[in-house]
Amino acid sequence: MEQFRANLCNELFKLSKRKKYLVFLILGSLICVASALRVLIINYLTDGEVSRQAILGGLMTSNLPFVLLLFLPLMAIMAAGDLFVGEQADHTIRFSLMRPVGKGKLFFSKAAAVFLLCAFDLGVLYLVSTVAQVALGGGTEGILTSLGACLLDLIPLAVLILFFCLINQLIKGQGLTVLLCVVVYILLLVLGTYLPVVGGLVFTGYLRWHNLWIGITLPVFSLLPRVGLLAGYGLVFGSCGYLLFDRRDA
Amino acid sequence: MDTVLSLDHFSKIYSNGRGARSITFSVERGQVVGLLGPNGSGKTTIMKSLTGLAQPTEGTVTLFGVNAADRERALQNVGALIEQPALYENLTALDHLCMAARYYPQVDRARIDKVLRIVGLLPYAKERCGKFSLGMKQRMGLALALLSEPELMILDEPTNGLDIEATVEIREIIIRLAKEKGVTFLVASHLASEIEKMCDKVLVLYEGEMLSFETKEEALRLHPSLEDYFLAKVRDKKGSVVL
Repeated sequence: MEQFRANLCNELFKLSKRKKYLVFLILGSLICVASALRVLIINYLTDGEVSRQAILGGLMTSNLPFVLLLFLPLMAIMAAGDLFVGEQADHTIRFSLMRPVGKGKLFFSKAAAVFLLCAFDLGVLYLVSTVAQVALGGGTEGILTSLGACLLDLIPLAVLILFFCLINQLIKGQGLTVLLCVVVYILLLVLGTYLPVVGGLVFTGYLRWHNLWIGITLPVFSLLPRVGLLAGYGLVFGSCGYLLFDRRDA
Repeated sequence: MDTVLSLDHFSKIYSNGRGARSITFSVERGQVVGLLGPNGSGKTTIMKSLTGLAQPTEGTVTLFGVNAADRERALQNVGALIEQPALYENLTALDHLCMAARYYPQVDRARIDKVLRIVGLLPYAKERCGKFSLGMKQRMGLALALLSEPELMILDEPTNGLDIEATVEIREIIIRLAKEKGVTFLVASHLASEIEKMCDKVLVLYEGEMLSFETKEEALRLHPSLEDYFLAKVRDKKGSVVL
């Protein structure tokens, strides 16, 4: 476990030293604040008839589709690309491969680092949205619900990250891998949206996982197959990704 | 004497047909063994397999009695520099050593400063490795290999890119560590003179095959230099192919 922790710290350190993730986070935060500013426009256009609380209540929940379907997947694609295929391409992966740490620990610590980066960003965007909501007169309505939604949505995000880590083991070029991740992700989203028959089977359909648990929900018993399906996807992506990573020469 | 590393009928064949075939040898504690061969002879392939960067196609690789596949135990006392050092351009020399130190609980800040001093990079500790010259990168690779005070060091062309002074320094470090601390070295080079100056035993590789594995004294008994020894071995090999 110590070697896992050592490698996880190193991966997080490497990610923290890349400025693009900070720039991306600032951009995401600005978009969340900009979405809150619509309150001023609607409030002005309706001569104050629509209250700020009504518009801004649960601002983070209304920002979640952007954050979960676009911002975090893009962040995960970039980070997984940097830590896997990027390091393979410039041979820096040898830095950790020549240390006394198992390849399984290496693979999963890299995936965990991508997950922690995304979780950190989600936390920051939640804070920014919440502060914007309160500061613009939206009150504190829906703040706790949004927090619960963010925490629940981390589960499908972990599966999505394992999926990207798996794709990173398939081809060698970083640009090509990032492109493949984006294309496959968009295809899966489109497939889940426009083909309801398979929609329930595609894991990207669960990225807004909180919808199943918060608000109008189905009985827990009927949700169990979906939990099992997501867990199955996670197991398959994780084990296949590790297997390919283990067999790859550096 | 303890066997520090051994290869038993080791083969690693890449998809282009190159690699190393049926290599068997072992190295005892405190020895400095040189792998001598031209480019593409299989030196790096052997070293990559010893450090877990490549998996053998056949045979077994053992480090300190442990199969190299058990990376955590096998690589615990191994320091390595394979081809060019694996350095992140945006990180400083100190960042690299601090990152590497996380894998070894015994390594502290004093040790980090010490290895930086040994390789002459202490004044550049906070400079990004992307700005380093080839020689400085090579010294940085050596610092990373030395950091954990390993019992076995695997060095692939360690003086590559270094000036004459630095080459001599590195050679002296190798000889001193082997004599004083009993560190075992496996050093690859395509320069026979370099191997001759620092190694106790020499393993000659050619086109992925092992041609000989003898002590330096045995090799030099019938030949004036290791260069002549190498050429004789290659001629024998080519002669046997023609016959």
